[in-house]
Amino acid sequence: MLEHPALANIRDLLANQGYISEPGIVMSIFLAMELQKPLLIEGPAGVGKTEIAKVMAKALDTDLIRLQCYEGLDSTHALYEWNYQQQLLYLKMEEGTSKSLAEKEQHLFHERFLMKRPLLQAITHAQAPVLLIDEVDRADEEFESFLLEVLSDWQITIPEIGTIQATHIPRVIITSNRVRELSEALRRRCLYLWIDYPDFAKELQIVRNRVPGIDAQLGEQICRFMQEVRQMRLEKVPGVAETLDWATALANLHFDHLDKDIVEATLGVVLKDWQDVRQVQLSLSELLEKTGVQAKWDE
Amino acid sequence: MISCGIRGDSLPANRPGMSEPAANLPLTPRYTSLSAHVVSFCRFLRQNGFPLGPAEESLALQALSQLTAFRQPEAFRLCLRATLARSKTQQQRFDVLFPQYFKELENAVDAKTKTKSQGGDPKQKQQKAPTLQALKSWLYGQNSPEDEVALAGYSAQEATHQKDFANFTDDELREVWGLVQQIARTLALQLSRRWEHTHHNLRLDLRRTIRRNLRRGGELLELAHRRPKRHRQQLLVLCDVSKSMDLYSQFLLQFSYAFQQAYRRIETFTFSTDLQRITPLLRGRDFRAALEGLQQQQGGWSGGTRIGASLASLCQHYRRLLTRQTIVIILSDGMDTGEIETLSTSMQTIHRRAGRVIWLNPLAGRPGYTPSTRGMEAALPYIDVFAAAHNVESLRRLARYLANHPRSTSPVPGGPGHNIPA
Repeated sequence: MLEHPALANIRDLLANQGYISEPGIVMSIFLAMELQKPLLIEGPAGVGKTEIAKVMAKALDTDLIRLQCYEGLDSTHALYEWNYQQQLLYLKMEEGTSKSLAEKEQHLFHERFLMKRPLLQAITHAQAPVLLIDEVDRADEEFESFLLEVLSDWQITIPEIGTIQATHIPRVIITSNRVRELSEALRRRCLYLWIDYPDFAKELQIVRNRVPGIDAQLGEQICRFMQEVRQMRLEKVPGVAETLDWATALANLHFDHLDKDIVEATLGVVLKDWQDVRQVQLSLSELLEKTGVQAKWDE
Repeated sequence: MISCGIRGDSLPANRPGMSEPAANLPLTPRYTSLSAHVVSFCRFLRQNGFPLGPAEESLALQALSQLTAFRQPEAFRLCLRATLARSKTQQQRFDVLFPQYFKELENAVDAKTKTKSQGGDPKQKQQKAPTLQALKSWLYGQNSPEDEVALAGYSAQEATHQKDFANFTDDELREVWGLVQQIARTLALQLSRRWEHTHHNLRLDLRRTIRRNLRRGGELLELAHRRPKRHRQQLLVLCDVSKSMDLYSQFLLQFSYAFQQAYRRIETFTFSTDLQRITPLLRGRDFRAALEGLQQQQGGWSGGTRIGASLASLCQHYRRLLTRQTIVIILSDGMDTGEIETLSTSMQTIHRRAGRVIWLNPLAGRPGYTPSTRGMEAALPYIDVFAAAHNVESLRRLARYLANHPRSTSPVPGGPGHNIPA
C-alpha cells in the first residue's frame, strides 16, 4: 500500500530482521528517524513494543542502549554517578603531595571517575545509537522531568564538570504500558504510536516467520484460538509473545493440529493467571468449536 | 472574529491565544494550498479538543515535506496521524475526524468548481452556501444542534439530571472547602517525600559525604545519610454519584481535587450506572470549572446505581492501576441495583490485586448502623477498612489514617461502631 521508496525501505529493513510491520508502524519509525524525534510506543503487554527498538538497532547496524525504568529510578542510575571508591583512593594517594585544594578538586571530578549511565552513554556514543527507554510509566513523574531536559536539548549538565553536549543525536524509542498517564510535556516531545494486538492474518504471518517449521494447519488453529481467547474477559490477556511460545512448544512436539487434550495440557504456556486458566477451561469446548469450525470453513 | 478560508492566501496571520513560533524554528513555508489545508485541519482538530500549537503544525508540515512527491491519501493520513495524535484516545478521535473534515472539504471544493463552470447562476450560489457554511462552522466548532445530539451519545435509560453543584451556600462552601483542602494538602505532603529520615538501615549519601569532607584532605569524619522512601502509595478513589449519594460524593470529590493539586499519584473515578475516569478534569486549576466539566461529562449523573458493573469495568479497563501500591477508596452506600454476583467477584479481584481496600459509607456515621444492605454484605469480605464518611471530621480521620498506616491494615481510629476490620 505504501509505495514511497523511503517507506518501503524501512519496511524491508524491518522485514529482513523478521519483524512484520504495518503501514502505521513504518510511517512512525520513518518520521521519528527523519525528524529526529523520540518515538513513544504504547500498547498492551506482549505486542512487540520493545522489539521495535531491538530490530531498529540491528537494521541500522548500531548499538542498542537500554534504560529499564522502575519505581525510584533516579539520576544516579539514569544519567551518571561518580565512582566514589576510586575517588576515595585517589584522595588517599594524594594525601602526601603538596597540591592545592583547587587542583585536587579538579582532578577528583575528572571524567575518568565518571560512571556513565544509559542516558549519558547514549549522547556521548561514537555512533548514533538506538536508545530504548523501556516502561517509562514505571518510573516516577520526577524522572520524566530530567528525561525531558535530555530529550529536548540533547545535553546533560553535571555540576562538577559542566554541560556535556551530544556528539550524535540518538534514535530514541520510549515504551509505556500505561501503568500511569504520562505527562503532556513528554508526549509533546515525542511522536506517538499505539500498537494493538495483531489481527489473525498478521499474527499468522508472525508465527510462520518466527517458527518456520510449524505445520500450516496448526499455525492457523493456534492463531484463531488466540484471537478468540483475546475476546474473553481475562485478567491478563496473552500477547504475541505467548502465541510464539505456544507455537514453538507445539511445533517441537510435532503436533499438526489442536485438540482438547493438547490445549488443556499446554494452557499454562498461554495463560499466566489461575483465574484465567479456569475460565478458559470452562469454555474450552466452545472456544475450540469456534476455532475448528472456522478453520474448516477456510479449507 | 477572524475570517477563515481554505486557501492559503486568506489564512489569518495571528490566531488568538497562540504565541508566534520561535524565530529559530525551521518553519516550512505555508504558501502552498497543501500546507494551508494542514493548518486549517489542525485548527479543526483544536476545536475538537486536541492540544495543538504552532510547534505541532510545523512538525506535521516538516513530516509531510519528508515524503516529497507522494500521491497516496493513506500516507498523507498516517503522516498527520503520527504527528498530531498523541495518545490512544486521540488517535481514535483522529480516525473519526480526519474523514469527516476532508469529506466536508471535498464537498466545499466541488460546490465551488460547479459554480465556476456554470457561470454564477444565483440559484446555484444559494445552494452551495450552506456547504461552505457547514465547513466554516465546523472549523470554529459551532456544531449544529443535530451534530451535538449525535456527539453526546447519551443512552436513553441513563437518567440525566442537570444537577446544580452550587447548592452549597457560598459561606458553607468556603468553610468546608478550606478544611478539606487543608487535610488533603497535609496528607499529600506527607506521602510525596522521596527520602525519609531513619535511625537504622543507614545508607551513606557518598556524593555529599565526599564533598563535605574534601576540606579535611579526604578524611571521612562527617557522614551524610539518606534512605530511599519505601514504595510510594497510589490512591484510587471511586466515588458513587448516584442520587442517594450525591451530597457526600461532593465532599470526597473536593478532597480528591485538593489532593490532586499537590500529589499526582491519584486517580479518581465516578460511577452510578457507568464508570467514568475524571482524573484529567480534576487536574484543572479551578474547582468550579472542574465541577462544571463533570456535570457536562456525566451521562448518568445522579441516576441509578450499578456498583458491580462499574467495578467490573474498572477491573477490565484499568487493571493496570490496581497494584500492591494502590489504596482503593470506595465511597458508596452499597445500595446496588445491579447483580450482586458481579459486585462480589469484582470486589474479590480488586481486593486480590490492590494493596488495600477502604470502603467509606456515609450511613455508617449514624448510630446503630449495620452494613446489612445486599450490596454491602456482598462487598464486606473483601474490604480491609470500613469507615464512616459523612462529615469533615471523618475525612480528617481518613487522612490521618492514610498518613500513619501506609502499609498495615489496622482500622481507622475513631468512634466505636464506625470501623469493622475485615
